[in-house]
Amino acid sequence: MRNVVAIAKKELNIYFTTPIAYAMFAVMTLLLSYVFAGYLNAFSKLSLEANVNPQIAEYLNATDMIVYPLVVFGGVFVVFIVPFLSMRLIAEEKRQKTFELLMTSPLRPVEIVLGKYLGGVAIMGVAVLIALLFPAILQLFAGSAGTGGSGGIEWRTTLLGFFGLFLWSSAAMAIGMFVSSLTSSQAVSAIVSLLVLLLMWLASWGAMATDGALSEVMNWLSAQRHLHGFARGVFDLKDLAYYLSWIVLGLFLTHRAIEAHRWA
Amino acid sequence: MIEVKGLTKRYRDRAAIEGLSFELEEGDILGFLGPNGAGKTTTMRVLAGFLPATSGSAKVAGFDVFEQPLEVKRRLGYLPEQPPLYPDMTVGSYLRFCAEVKGIASKGLKAEIDRVARLTRVDDVLGRVIANLSKGYRQRVGLAQAIIGSPPVLILDEPTVGLDPLQIIEVRDLVRDLAASGKHTIILSTHILQEVTELCRKVLVIKSGKLVDFDTIEGLRSRHVDGKELSLEEIYLRLIDPTGELRHRPAEGATPAPQTPNADAGSAESAPQSAGAPSPEPAPAGAGAETTSSDGEPPTKAAAN
Ligand SMILES: Nc1ncnc2c1ncn2[C@@H]1O[C@H](COP(=O)(O)OP(=O)(O)OP(=O)(O)O)[C@@H](O)[C@H]1O
Ligand SMILES: [Mg+2]
Repeated sequence: MRNVVAIAKKELNIYFTTPIAYAMFAVMTLLLSYVFAGYLNAFSKLSLEANVNPQIAEYLNATDMIVYPLVVFGGVFVVFIVPFLSMRLIAEEKRQKTFELLMTSPLRPVEIVLGKYLGGVAIMGVAVLIALLFPAILQLFAGSAGTGGSGGIEWRTTLLGFFGLFLWSSAAMAIGMFVSSLTSSQAVSAIVSLLVLLLMWLASWGAMATDGALSEVMNWLSAQRHLHGFARGVFDLKDLAYYLSWIVLGLFLTHRAIEAHRWA
Repeated sequence: MIEVKGLTKRYRDRAAIEGLSFELEEGDILGFLGPNGAGKTTTMRVLAGFLPATSGSAKVAGFDVFEQPLEVKRRLGYLPEQPPLYPDMTVGSYLRFCAEVKGIASKGLKAEIDRVARLTRVDDVLGRVIANLSKGYRQRVGLAQAIIGSPPVLILDEPTVGLDPLQIIEVRDLVRDLAASGKHTIILSTHILQEVTELCRKVLVIKSGKLVDFDTIEGLRSRHVDGKELSLEEIYLRLIDPTGELRHRPAEGATPAPQTPNADAGSAESAPQSAGAPSPEPAPAGAGAETTSSDGEPPTKAAAN
């Protein structure tokens, strides 16, 4: 356990001494602000109309209209950002020859895998917490404006949505780490992971284009579809199992890749 | 302390080392010699548990490298050919990381880092980012990493490469101090023969992955006498290049002396010598090898053709 923490700390140290983590947080905040402002604007327009048309007021809900699309947008963001965080995890060690240090220190491969993974997931955890600031701002805004008498947003739904987002980030990080363990080129690692994550995200499109069993499989594979459940505030064990499966698979395969090195 | 038996490492079909066997006692300091590509780095990687061997076995501190790698790694300090540094970390946080993964107790961590930093003279750069250090300093940080926790076995792959003369002397002193304690078994590869003469008790020479000779320095000297005492350099050149064809020999007469048959190695290579390698006038080998190291003179080969 101590070894796992030591490696995770080292990963975070590198993420934060290089611009990569800060750049990611900055881009994320910028994009989310932009998107958030857009949804907020649409929402306030509808609120104005609701004053004259009470029918609209019934459907008016800040959580559905702002938080839900924010979470889904966050899911897309994960597809594009995680590969750039995961690409270095193992590929960089091989390129820098520091892999030799890890492999000749008294570390078990499983400790290397878990330590690295924890470091990567911690970064995404911080990112999700930063993103949570947007609903918090909304709460302040909606609370003071008192729109529709709803008194702000539904926190259960919001937290569940962001939890889903964190699960998706963690699954993406596990997959990205495995890809990173297959190459010593960070560029290759980033591109391949991006493609894989994009396919996973867009599998639901494939589901729409096909039918029968294939469509079902595509639907099950779709990361997007499973995130929707969380974002709607519905906790389904199947969605949880989906993300956990990817995490376990990613960790297992990375472990195999590192173990394989001992027999290469 | 170290026991290597029939060790072979193949990269696909090419063998980097083949049937290597030797044994070291506790406290032995081994100079590991061989031309570029001989397989020194490969051997050290196998011993450190970084590369699996194709066949054969290796034991370090009584533990099999392949069966109980963790036990071996706990007792081993390893400086790879290219120092394994994270360019984005500071020296201090890097050494802290190394100490942590080597299982140094948190209590003594700070003291241990200070100790190795002082020994390798990196205590004045602990706060600097590794990427900004000069090559020599990076090499020293790599060395600091290897000796952290005073492991009983040290494997150092060309530890003095890239260091300035003063630092080379300091690193030699460092190795000598480690050696003097008698508690460390050290394998040190180098291309600087003087270093071996100064530091090592035993010498192992390999060529194309095969053992050429393995003996104490005195043992080597007593087997390679040629009228007068030969220097390690002269002995090395004979072992590596018994026929003298690889060498650029000075034109004027000075050539290696006729082959001295040597016990456990080189006999295969000595055959072609009689077959027709140009050996003009046999001269005292002492003079010959002395001049061998200077590259200025035209090589005989070229002159003869
Ligand atoms: N990863 C690899 N794949 C294929 N061949 C390799 C690999 N690593 C080393 N070799 C080959 O193995 C042989 C031994 O290399 P090694 O690096 O052990 O030599 P060395 O004695 O350390 O040389 P030097 O003095 O130049 O450091 C060389 O022929 C080299 O080309
Ligand atoms: Mg080498």
